[in-house]
Amino acid sequence: MYIIKNALRCISRSKGRNILIGIISLVIAVSACIGLSIRQAAESAKQSILEGMSVTATITYDRQSAMSNIGGGKGNGGFDRNQLEAIMGGASSLTLEEYQLYATADSVSDFYYTMTAYFNGSDGFEPVNISEALDDNGGTLNGGLVGGYSDETARIKGGLANMMSAGDFKIIGYSSESAMVDFISGVSLITDGVVFAEQTDENVCIISEELAIFNNLSVGDSITITNPNIDTEAYELTVCGIYSSTETNNIPSSMFGAGEDPANRIYMSAAALQKIIDASVTAANEDTETESADAITATLSATYVFADTDAYYAFEEEARALGLGDTYTITSADITSFENGMTPLNTLSTMAGWFLIVILIIGAVILVVLNIFNVRERKYEVGVLTAMGMKKWKVAGQFMCEVLVVTMIAIVIGAGIGAVSSVPVTNALLENQVSSQQSESNRIENNFGRGGMMNGSIPSGENESGLGIKENNKFGNMVSGAANYITEVNSAMNLTVVLQMIGIGLLLTLIASVASVLFIMRYDPLKILANRD
Amino acid sequence: MAILSLQNISFSYDKTPVLKDISYDFEKGKLYCIVGKSGAGKTTLLSLLSGLTTPSSGTILYDDKDVAKIDKYTFRSKYIGVVFQSYNLITKYTALENVILAMDVAGYKTDNKKQKALELLKSVGLDEDETDRRILKLSGGQQQRVAIARALSYDPDIILADEPTGNLDRETQSEIMAIFRSLAKQGKCVILVSHSPDVAAMCDECYKLTKLTKKS
Ligand SMILES: Nc1ncnc2c1ncn2[C@@H]1O[C@H](COP(=O)(O)OP(=O)(O)O)[C@@H](O)[C@H]1O
Ligand SMILES: [Mg+2]
Repeated sequence: MYIIKNALRCISRSKGRNILIGIISLVIAVSACIGLSIRQAAESAKQSILEGMSVTATITYDRQSAMSNIGGGKGNGGFDRNQLEAIMGGASSLTLEEYQLYATADSVSDFYYTMTAYFNGSDGFEPVNISEALDDNGGTLNGGLVGGYSDETARIKGGLANMMSAGDFKIIGYSSESAMVDFISGVSLITDGVVFAEQTDENVCIISEELAIFNNLSVGDSITITNPNIDTEAYELTVCGIYSSTETNNIPSSMFGAGEDPANRIYMSAAALQKIIDASVTAANEDTETESADAITATLSATYVFADTDAYYAFEEEARALGLGDTYTITSADITSFENGMTPLNTLSTMAGWFLIVILIIGAVILVVLNIFNVRERKYEVGVLTAMGMKKWKVAGQFMCEVLVVTMIAIVIGAGIGAVSSVPVTNALLENQVSSQQSESNRIENNFGRGGMMNGSIPSGENESGLGIKENNKFGNMVSGAANYITEVNSAMNLTVVLQMIGIGLLLTLIASVASVLFIMRYDPLKILANRD
Repeated sequence: MAILSLQNISFSYDKTPVLKDISYDFEKGKLYCIVGKSGAGKTTLLSLLSGLTTPSSGTILYDDKDVAKIDKYTFRSKYIGVVFQSYNLITKYTALENVILAMDVAGYKTDNKKQKALELLKSVGLDEDETDRRILKLSGGQQQRVAIARALSYDPDIILADEPTGNLDRETQSEIMAIFRSLAKQGKCVILVSHSPDVAAMCDECYKLTKLTKKS
């Protein structure tokens, strides 16, 4: 094609002008490359985390929404106290059957639950650090302060009323091994014996090392636990394993009761625990001396596992279709934590997007103006070429080709510069963004008087259950600080960015050329050449 | 038989009439001259012949076909070779590149375009070392020769030349005229435009254009 040959010749014969266009294109290319890289970094960071992340969610009771529903529903105004009490009490927590019903949704890939019940010890089986008798406020205090952290949230919010009767031991029943997150993450591990069989209804349990030492117990021994309300109601459990835990005790048991000390937790199968509770309820109903309220109650915490975030987002609609009421909300600590961690990078990505748009607009305007100058300056050349019988679209094509070649060279060089500089530039900007984000959230926390607590003592479990970034080697060093912000990216440029750059180059060439093409189409060779004569 | 024929051609720029009711015939193998005073409409007539503009009325026939029905780009790039008054060469190209460009535009097929272009440039009297020089570094006479070579490069039947000797010294003038005469001898239809009676004297046939006086 002689058009291309001519285009290349013309570029080499007007070096000055083309170097100018090239430098401007280069500036645009480098800026665009960095902007695109930042966006790409945010996107791939997100993808990478999401890839390794299975999302877990819980259904929580939205008390506020329930209360406003009552207020709005009553024509006479004022709250219906009975209804309110029902809401504050057990009525708010879903039953296991309901939880299981929602688990049938297509989006749910796994479902497990834990049951928590409090028991007292017996002679010869006593809780670690039994320094103070437990008062009835224990549960409430516990609910108020621990609420908001970790997976306890659901339990506490769901069944505040049930927490009133606390005991020396917290017995947690797991529906499956996937529910035992501490053992999966390695916070806890069996040091002696084995874990109870999944879904067994035998009264076997595992206890902590401290508890074993304190009561001089070993695998195979039996322990006796009692109903905190009726000390004659006793149940015998066999210790099948002893575990050690690296979880630190954040909550002094002297303040909140022995049951809240991790050492006094006893783990067993949910089915076995359910059997004990059923027995307790039956006993309470049969025995005329005891009230049914004295029976052991358990709080339920159900967790839904989703293969990916899409499934998580699909779950809401499916659960609602299955009959989940408006007063329940579906929340995911993983998603919240992930979104929080992404905040600085997302903010940066948005800013990069705007920067990109501004750069492209300015770039397009400059290139259009330069092209108009160019084609006006070369009016005579256009006249000669068309007078010789070269079709106008071919002349326009040659001019476009010239701009395209210069732009593409600039883009290749720009992509090279971008490849070298985008990672350090992104990280420098990100660092800036993270620190402003941190100081902003610190400022807010300080305003609420929580500054010290938020920065210092987020429960260690949070990091594990949070973003799941630790499992992901690629982004292993991306998390730092209490808020889990992503503070570093290690690759920003990739093929997508290169393709986008080429797209931008073509787009700019096209926009810049439109003006010159319009001029060329308007030119009449006779007039141009006549004016020269 | 006429290769190019004007039939009752009139032309006016906007409302200024320049040519009125002109009927000329041009045949192959002849050297024509259109003479007239400055402003008589010679360049305008040439623009009509070369398809750069269309007549206000009347028809131009090329090989018995109405030029208005032939694609004007094809007509200009293939059938007609024009040597413009101001040469109209691409100044940033070399002499050789200008000639090759015309062959490319015409879609002219030959084994070796460069070879043919060099031969042409040599035949119109350009030295070998001048063929690789940019147009701006050539003299008026040399540019004239390049323009002629360019007009011949794709072998058109008709060669038009506007004031081909106007800016040249006598010696160069007669050399250039010799080239046109030999082209006519080779069977081309060569049409020159000139205000010089000397040039007219060397041609086979002459048409005289008179300036239209404003109608009273
Ligand atoms: N583009 C134009 N627009 C209007 N009038 C023109 C134009 N070109 C030429 N003319 C007029 O047409 C007449 C003929 O011009 P031209 O053909 O160039 O004469 P010549 O070549 O014989 O000197 C002149 O009077 C000139 O002023
Ligand atoms: Mg003239």
